[in-house]
Amino acid sequence: MVEIGLLSRSPLAAVLQPGHYGQPGQDGLVVQERTGLHIVNLAARRGQGGALAVAVQRSWGLELPTTPRRAGDGRLAFLWSGGAQWLAIAEGTGDLELSLKDRLGSLASLTDQSDGRSVLRLSGSRTRETLAKGLAIDLHPRAFTPGDTALTLAGHIGVQIWQLDDTPSYEIAVARGYAGSLIGWLLPAGEEFGITVLPPG
Amino acid sequence: MRIICPLCGERGAEEFVYHGDATVRRPHPDSSAETWNAYVHLRDNPAGRHSELWYHAAGCHAWLVVERDVRTHEIFAVTLAQDVALARRPVTA
Ligand SMILES: [Zn+2]
Repeated sequence: MVEIGLLSRSPLAAVLQPGHYGQPGQDGLVVQERTGLHIVNLAARRGQGGALAVAVQRSWGLELPTTPRRAGDGRLAFLWSGGAQWLAIAEGTGDLELSLKDRLGSLASLTDQSDGRSVLRLSGSRTRETLAKGLAIDLHPRAFTPGDTALTLAGHIGVQIWQLDDTPSYEIAVARGYAGSLIGWLLPAGEEFGITVLPPG
Repeated sequence: MRIICPLCGERGAEEFVYHGDATVRRPHPDSSAETWNAYVHLRDNPAGRHSELWYHAAGCHAWLVVERDVRTHEIFAVTLAQDVALARRPVTA
């Protein structure tokens, strides 16, 4: 029998090199590709939304959002992702899909998206101005705050964005095949503010 | 034009796809050819208030029923198509 070993490779490996770009001496935008994330899409089975929320509360002490919000933290978060759908995102080495299947398998359909999405963390003092060039939603603090999430377009590309804190920092998830195109929009948009690209982490 | 998605909030029309007249109702499978012809092909074209299906393609993927004045783009109501369909469904014992 022939053993085939597949190497996992980021779609951004060739287009997002660590370093400084654009306006010298300025750091208006800091970009980092997130690695090691486990991402699972949950879709509640018909009529099981209430039971699913109870099971999530009982298992992890988190309130499954029914509006575009994110519950939890970096270790495990549930993000509203459309009607009766959520993204569960976890850091670390545990098997998120297995753990969700054990506790929620009869209430929701689960789809592993860990290799299906690329996630970028964006921070820096000019992050809002950069995003405003390609996102048509209002990211002003009176309209979008930490814990808020949105499914929308960035540079004409479908994304899910959520705000982490007030610095402000955000994370933005994009279908893997579009990750390079998103960077093709993001870096030119942030150049005038100066960009630091951190090593993936 | 901007549409207030009941799930996502207010978004630009570029996030939505128009999917036709929301007033037509699918006939019973045994209906006559004339009835099916009318369902598939015949549409009113009101200059004014209309009821339309829009799909939030670049957002939450919900189908919406949008009550809209097609002359002015004024929007009167946006409802999840799912809720409209459930409200229509005859109550069974
Ligand atoms: Zn929506």
